[in-house]
Amino acid sequence: MSATTATRHSPGTVAVERPGSHRQHEVLRLLPTPLLIFVLVFLGALVLIPVLYIFLASVNSDIGVANGEFWPSSVTFENYSKIWTSVGLATGLTNSVLVAGATAVVSAAMSVSTAFVLVRYTFRGRLTILRGLLALQSVPGTLMVLPVFVLFSSAATYLGIQVIGTQWGLFVTYLTFAMPFSTWVMVTYLRGLPKELEEAARIDGASNLGVLFRIILPLSWPGIVVSGIFAFLLGWNDVLFASVMTRPESQTAAVALQIFGASQEGGAIPYYGQMMAAALVCAAPVVILYLIFQRYLVGGLTAGGVK
Amino acid sequence: MSTDASHEVRPADTAAGRAPRPADDTGRQPGHKGGLRRKGLSERNRPLWMLIPGGALMIIIIVVPLLLGIYMSVLNLDQYTLRKWISAPLIGAENFVEAVTNSPLLHAVWLSVSYSLLAMVVTLPLGIAAAVATQNAFKGRAVIRSIFLIPYVLPSFVVATVWRTMLQPGGIVDEALATVGIHVGLWLNGPQTFWTLVLVQIWASWPFIYLLALSGLQSVDHEVHEASALDGALWWNKLRYVVFPYLKGPLSLAFLIGMLHHINNFTLPFVLFGVPAPADVEVLPILTYVTSFQSFRFGLSAAMAFISLVLIAIPLFVYLRAVKLDDADTPGAKK
Amino acid sequence: MRFKSTTGLAAIVTAAALALTGCGSGGSGNSGGSTNANGKVDGTGKTLNVLVGVLSQYPEQQKQWQSDIAAKFKAETGADVKFETFASANDELTRIQTSVVSGQGPDIYGLGTTFTPTAYATKAFVTLSDDDWKAVGGKDRFNQAALGISGPDKDHQAGIPFVSRPFVMAYNKDLLAAAGIDKPATSWDELAAQAKKMTKGDTYGIATGYKDNFDPWKFIWAMSVQAGNPLVDGNKLKMDDPTVKKAYETYFGWLTNDKVVDPASVGWSNSNAVAAFASGKAGYLMMTTSSSIPTLDKSAIAGKYEYTLMPTIAPGETQSKSDGDAASILSGDNLVVADYSKQKDLAFAYIKLITSKDEQLNYQKTFGDLPANAEALASLTDPKLKPLADAAAKSKATPFTGAWGDIQLGLLNVTVQSVPDLAAGKVDESALEQRIKDAQNKGQASLDRASKG
Repeated sequence: MSATTATRHSPGTVAVERPGSHRQHEVLRLLPTPLLIFVLVFLGALVLIPVLYIFLASVNSDIGVANGEFWPSSVTFENYSKIWTSVGLATGLTNSVLVAGATAVVSAAMSVSTAFVLVRYTFRGRLTILRGLLALQSVPGTLMVLPVFVLFSSAATYLGIQVIGTQWGLFVTYLTFAMPFSTWVMVTYLRGLPKELEEAARIDGASNLGVLFRIILPLSWPGIVVSGIFAFLLGWNDVLFASVMTRPESQTAAVALQIFGASQEGGAIPYYGQMMAAALVCAAPVVILYLIFQRYLVGGLTAGGVK
Repeated sequence: MSTDASHEVRPADTAAGRAPRPADDTGRQPGHKGGLRRKGLSERNRPLWMLIPGGALMIIIIVVPLLLGIYMSVLNLDQYTLRKWISAPLIGAENFVEAVTNSPLLHAVWLSVSYSLLAMVVTLPLGIAAAVATQNAFKGRAVIRSIFLIPYVLPSFVVATVWRTMLQPGGIVDEALATVGIHVGLWLNGPQTFWTLVLVQIWASWPFIYLLALSGLQSVDHEVHEASALDGALWWNKLRYVVFPYLKGPLSLAFLIGMLHHINNFTLPFVLFGVPAPADVEVLPILTYVTSFQSFRFGLSAAMAFISLVLIAIPLFVYLRAVKLDDADTPGAKK
Repeated sequence: MRFKSTTGLAAIVTAAALALTGCGSGGSGNSGGSTNANGKVDGTGKTLNVLVGVLSQYPEQQKQWQSDIAAKFKAETGADVKFETFASANDELTRIQTSVVSGQGPDIYGLGTTFTPTAYATKAFVTLSDDDWKAVGGKDRFNQAALGISGPDKDHQAGIPFVSRPFVMAYNKDLLAAAGIDKPATSWDELAAQAKKMTKGDTYGIATGYKDNFDPWKFIWAMSVQAGNPLVDGNKLKMDDPTVKKAYETYFGWLTNDKVVDPASVGWSNSNAVAAFASGKAGYLMMTTSSSIPTLDKSAIAGKYEYTLMPTIAPGETQSKSDGDAASILSGDNLVVADYSKQKDLAFAYIKLITSKDEQLNYQKTFGDLPANAEALASLTDPKLKPLADAAAKSKATPFTGAWGDIQLGLLNVTVQSVPDLAAGKVDESALEQRIKDAQNKGQASLDRASKG
């Protein structure tokens, strides 16, 4: 039916055919080269110049940064070793990775199944749930801090379940806040999937779970990656809930970073150098994770799967 | 029909959909009265149990505290009554009246909404451009894609601190602009603060659009590319008529969510401008924070938060209808 | 149908949560830790939770101090001590509120003195009885001036002084000598005059940050109190007094009229001012504390600076009009014991330990803050510390009211809204009056609520 051979689409392989692959490349091209280069350079500079400043500040002295210098007056790399002892950064990073990672995985998984039900089936209250999920996104965090804390501490007092101060409490909170958006990302994505595949599978006798696992899941990698990233970042960058609900053993990197920014009244300069160094160190895991997973964000649903 | 269709087919026609499939054709039209089966939705065999875990979590951890928060808004809750807050005096609508008449709430809502809107309008083209530019494979694409993500990954307060340092009077930004003869004045206080906030927010959040646009681009079939190549479509026409319709769904969502996030973003304005905030940038989260955690008037700030929630929910639902995000059939994406 | 049942479930859960939390308000009673024969508290097997501010300038030393103290406490009572830290004032406030609302949290809080009135207003902390004071070592062993912010009056005190951190100014010895000044100024007028002599090129007489989130109101407070206006008189807020307006005009005047501060300081916070001073670009660094010692000692002017009292004579006056000199705001850290704590005896024993003479001197040597223990304070011999000890003795407390937070914000807000004018070079008098009037109205409203509550 189509000129391209149906290639099995698995993550990591771009569905180009070998013969005439240059032509294929041309077909897929979206922008003329000069414009492409301009966009990349412009956006790259936009992003990298402040990042360069962060790096330069991390090797400068604190006084230098407070004086507003861009190019350091004195260069020292000691901040990168100091950050590990000034605050519990190692503990913080471990906790952050655990909590945010768990949030990402579970949120992505739950959102696939929830979105699947919401998109492919109809039932009373479906639209209300969809709208409600979005409405929940508009609730401000500052409104929720006290009530959530009250809720959890009551659980501790009356049910004996110690939630505050554990990574579990944080994980559950982040998961709940990440779910509405993750679900919506999957909903938008799933709507774009052709239903023929599922219908074919069902004709072959697949159950709901079977359809979910064997058809939907493999096709929705881009959506899963994106919703996973957002869930991860929610847990990674949150400060408000983390500062209230953690103890020194369970604190996240975001809380540890706050200490660097603490400017006390009357005379102490914040540790700008260490804060910048720590910021880069904390951003690195996420960027690396993305580097690994971005290959799943590759184009083209299997053309051949649709017969 | 196959893609070696006759050359007389104009780009617009082939762009109107993916390679049409005979069986499903009618079912895709919105509002078609062909019945549920045609729409691809089924009423039988629904695995509704899959909704339980997520639903339970959200009810316990979001809805219940939300209701508690609403209850607090009708109490005279401040630092004097906080301890035995259940028995704090019930003052009904007094907090709401005060919030609307005697506080900067409406001004704050206006500031928040307008700055979010501006930020979104600018980040949309930036994000789309980045997604489109990194869609085709080239050497080093993975690295570039990851670099683009950095502003979004950096913790909000680091971004704010960095920009605050760069924008201080006589700081780097001022010096750089002075070399080309532009004198802007104060960035971090005074009437310009609004634009400062918009600019920094744009810098920090455009990767959000980029990510969602990228995921949207993945659902474009090769066949579509083939078809438009065969038709000799120019890159701009191809982008506009063929590719962008695929983005409509994810981007409508992104626009909405992005706006909500910006409206509720507390850390960025707080660290950039400090408290008390200059009048031109006293956005909603700062106002509720100050009312709650510095003036200790929890009842009042809960009322403020609730009013702003309502004020924002109305356009939200209007928007949902307009882009048909909540319509089952037409996802607001391709037709 | 499915949806309706979930709504019903939600209603039940809500009602349950409300009911449960309603019962959970703080308990009273003095259990936990029995006193054995020597009068020492026995806390074997118990853990005391202490929440203090993080000392970001001394991270390792703080950890070391904490483990040392914990060991000493365990030897004395058999109980463990667990420390938690908060990173900033905002964090501290949030922690206090969540603990007060839920009735659980640390047993002891280390509070900045500015927050003691707020904490007191929640009534969630122990107001010490005579017996309680005995348990922490007796009221007499504290620097009496430091008790000024422990409570609204002598009979209702909740804050136990821990350390003093008074505000002083630092001056660059070389710059003063080069300008022919032999003694730092003792009045604000003299300060401006001296600063003018020191301002040339890119060196300025005074370094201060107009954009700082804390400093500006302290100047206004100091100048007003020194002119005889305590700002809060019973139930009335006296921000509309002419002394306040004069204070703002003097403070702004450094930039607009006298031109003795760097024009960029409209955008400076305290750390920028410290950095400028530390680079030798300013003669006086205002509103600083002993916390600046580590930064200044590592900088270009190490050894070339000294601390001294800030001016005590109001602008336009020739002598101090308040009773006693008001050299600084009464500032430092207090300790409060949570009312919900079930280990109050243990808490008092801990406080007694860390406010003893030896521990206080040890703390001072490590971290710089002055002792609140009177004996320890008197025994300090380091000449560098003398101005600080002086300032501690001559400190005045800010008004002890739950509304002070709002009043402070109002004072600060006048500066924040005036910054654009400052940057343009002049603050219009009627605009200033309007802003002060706004702050007066809001502050008075807060004060009214405080007297009702």
